[in-house]
Amino acid sequence: MVIDFETFYNFPRQFDRLFDEFLRPNIISQKRTAYPPINIYEDEENIYVYAELPGMDISKIDLTITDGSLVLKGEKSPEQGTYYRQERPCGIFQRVINLNVPIDVDKVKAKMKNGILEVVLPKTVESKTKKIKIEA
Amino acid sequence: MTQEVVKKEQAKEVIFSPYTDILEKEDGFYIFMDLPGVEKDSLELDLKENELEIKAKTSWSKPEKTKDVHLEFVPGYFKREFTLSDIVDKDKIKANLKNGVLSLFLPKAEKAKPKKIQITAE
Repeated sequence: MVIDFETFYNFPRQFDRLFDEFLRPNIISQKRTAYPPINIYEDEENIYVYAELPGMDISKIDLTITDGSLVLKGEKSPEQGTYYRQERPCGIFQRVINLNVPIDVDKVKAKMKNGILEVVLPKTVESKTKKIKIEA
Repeated sequence: MTQEVVKKEQAKEVIFSPYTDILEKEDGFYIFMDLPGVEKDSLELDLKENELEIKAKTSWSKPEKTKDVHLEFVPGYFKREFTLSDIVDKDKIKANLKNGVLSLFLPKAEKAKPKKIQITAE
């Protein structure tokens, strides 16, 4: 049997890790109950959505844009066998990401690399900031 | 008069313990580890006596010159150790990294499998 002694012999380290969790920068969402973990970045041209989905078959991921929201759905099926330890999340997941600006739906691109799903959503030309001239 | 407080930013290494499944199938033990964003060249597997140590570093980075709107995961290091029992045939361990998942196959040693003992009549 494969035994993992980490939980017994690393007690001081567990404590350190507990404090590290609390002292992490505030920008990281405290609630980690939603799956998969998602990062959203933005620049002038696009909105970028990154999701951690290791081991997911691209064919089992359902990515759609509806009504100004990006919906990421799928199912992670577990391996068959006698489990001694299960930590990896499995089952049906869904996350809805609200897009606060209009997106050019036809130009949305997504790719999967090393288990990270990267979605690039280009903003429509009208929603990019335009300088307004003030007339005297 | 305002005084500026200078904050020293410590670049801390973020080390994660990856989510791991340990299971047994007919042919041996399997360990599956979620290592999202890890490429083969940054994965290290060390077997010292009975200790199997896995170390890796994520290779992804956020797109350049973008603003962080919402973050739930960050780049960092993965590290985890396991103690293998003698049942495992250590020479025949197989590892495969695909799509951010490390699969380890740990076959059971031949001598650990039950062997029938012949009884001879005197």
